[in-house]
Amino acid sequence: MDTYAGATTGGVLTRRRFFEGLAAVGGISLALSGMDALGFGMASATELPPELTGGAKGAKIVILGAGLAGMTAAYELSKAGYQVQILEARSFAGGRCQTARKGFQHTDLIGHEQTCDFDEGLYINHGPWRIPYHHRSTLHYTKLFGVLLESFVNDNDAAYVYFEKGKGPLAGKPVRKGEIAADARGYAAELIAKAASKGDLDAALSPADRETFIAYMINEGRLSPKDLAYTGTEGRGFSVHPGAGVDPGPGKELPPFAFKDVLDSKAWRVLTSVSGYEQQRTMLQPIGGMDRIAAGFEKHVGAMIRYSTVVQKIKQNGKGVKIAYKDAFGETGEIEADYCLCTIPLSVLKQIDLDASKPFKAAMEKVSYAPVNKIGLQMKTRFWEEKHHIYGGHIYNDMPGIGTITLPSTGWQSDKGVLLGYYAFGGEAVKVSMKTPAERAAFALAGGQKVFPEYTDSFESAFSFSWHLAEYNLGGWAEWSQDGRKDAYPVLCEPDGRLYLAGEHLSYLGGWQAGAIESAWQQIAKIHARVQQA
Amino acid sequence: MSFASRFTLISLIAAVAVPATALAGPPPQSLFMDNCSACHQPTGKGIKGAFPALAGSALVQGDPTLLTTTVLNGRAGMPAFKDDLSDADLAGILTYARSSWGNKGAPVTAADIAKIRKAPPKARGLQAH
Repeated sequence: MDTYAGATTGGVLTRRRFFEGLAAVGGISLALSGMDALGFGMASATELPPELTGGAKGAKIVILGAGLAGMTAAYELSKAGYQVQILEARSFAGGRCQTARKGFQHTDLIGHEQTCDFDEGLYINHGPWRIPYHHRSTLHYTKLFGVLLESFVNDNDAAYVYFEKGKGPLAGKPVRKGEIAADARGYAAELIAKAASKGDLDAALSPADRETFIAYMINEGRLSPKDLAYTGTEGRGFSVHPGAGVDPGPGKELPPFAFKDVLDSKAWRVLTSVSGYEQQRTMLQPIGGMDRIAAGFEKHVGAMIRYSTVVQKIKQNGKGVKIAYKDAFGETGEIEADYCLCTIPLSVLKQIDLDASKPFKAAMEKVSYAPVNKIGLQMKTRFWEEKHHIYGGHIYNDMPGIGTITLPSTGWQSDKGVLLGYYAFGGEAVKVSMKTPAERAAFALAGGQKVFPEYTDSFESAFSFSWHLAEYNLGGWAEWSQDGRKDAYPVLCEPDGRLYLAGEHLSYLGGWQAGAIESAWQQIAKIHARVQQA
Repeated sequence: MSFASRFTLISLIAAVAVPATALAGPPPQSLFMDNCSACHQPTGKGIKGAFPALAGSALVQGDPTLLTTTVLNGRAGMPAFKDDLSDADLAGILTYARSSWGNKGAPVTAADIAKIRKAPPKARGLQAH
């Protein structure tokens, strides 16, 4: 019962101590049922599509948009026997699931025309680009469609961090993330361990726990067990690498930075005890480009898609829906169906003549969309691998408009590579999107040059994309305010007459493909239940 | 103080405040060009079917509270700029839009914005999606 007693010492019964106490008394199972009872359930998010049993009763569904939400719905509904037709404004399927490679064309709303001129085999995922291991819905379809995956390096201790706005000697200097991590955590552990050893933390630690806690700090910070000092550690790197014989022999460890310099640099911003839910260290990407997922769906539902068909009106009454469209030749037409599943982004849908109730339309006004920029830069050498020994991962930085520079997690040690030169959101993205494609590339190069001396010399060609300036998208992803989530979002998750909405914007996985897929799953289950009752 | 004279006083303060803003940071026109014109265009005419015109817009020239809320928090697909623009910069931009391309809206001050803004600008996270 020592541990349970320990959980209450100091008069503070934290949630975590409470669970630890339960585990000590009743074993892990009691702790787990305690977590369930308090709402820390272990139940997972939806990982499989709904089972649509009982037949489609001849119902016809028109789906607006052949992105991942639309194609997911088409795949599952057609399998269940529904008649499905998809209208897609673009000449290709995938929605935001796009990959730019040689010949890919894009003209933005300002009129900037680009044709991707990367070498054969090179590409940039200017839309979605990584799949966290727990996005089981996305992984369900990659497996089902045989889309082969490879690791996406989402964390790399060898990658540089570059923070200009800090102070001290490390500001404005590329420093490897592992060096910052070792020093920040080492020095912090030293302070805490020393305080604990002097008894300064006894209010929070029982005498029995104190020794274990100090041992943990020694382990965490790689401290000397003798004097609890942090004096650097071999994992942060060497100035002379260990090798053969006596020279280089054991090599020469890099000395740690001064604690004050690390603090002043603000580079510790990149460190947290665990990665965020959406930024897990284990991530995946389709081999050959994210649009392999779109292609996987298209293989099964392509015959249902009417391409280059722009929705102009969405009409409905008690009996069905009627969609007016204009095709690539300027010809107009109408399609009738029993129900409509609309996956058009709300930023675009609000401009379409739509039969919907006032509260529904008012709810549509409550969302904003994120401006998002990406640029792929083809480099003639993989200098980041050859000269800097960085294999994938992000160069975190605080350069406005650059956001993140990311090195490719594919084509290791090949001749050339395409890296992500910027990935920026919000107002910073708006500013850069004003520029011509050539100016955007110059902007990206000037940023990367501060980190890698080889950057500009190695540059060959660029392809940039601004989602807010992309017709049929008008934004990277939906952004809900707290009020919007509370009042408007639930309204849009329910049908308005015979109109159902789906997409990442109707999920708490906003901006992720899993959000689009799981939103589609949820809505088709509702349509199916209604058809069964009709 | 009558409404009219208070209005005059606010206008006077604004007239003084705007050049002060210009000294402190970029002038309102260049702030507008940087932050707004990609979508709403330098002419304020927007892009049909995508981005609404600001020239002649009732929203732009009308109640500054609604206009400010729209730019701070976003609406109907428009992005939120609350974390990108200071009160002074936003006041400059709104005043510019309310008085350009034939628009005739009264100036907006940084103090007006501060009253409407709920939280100070927040630094962006390092990653998303």
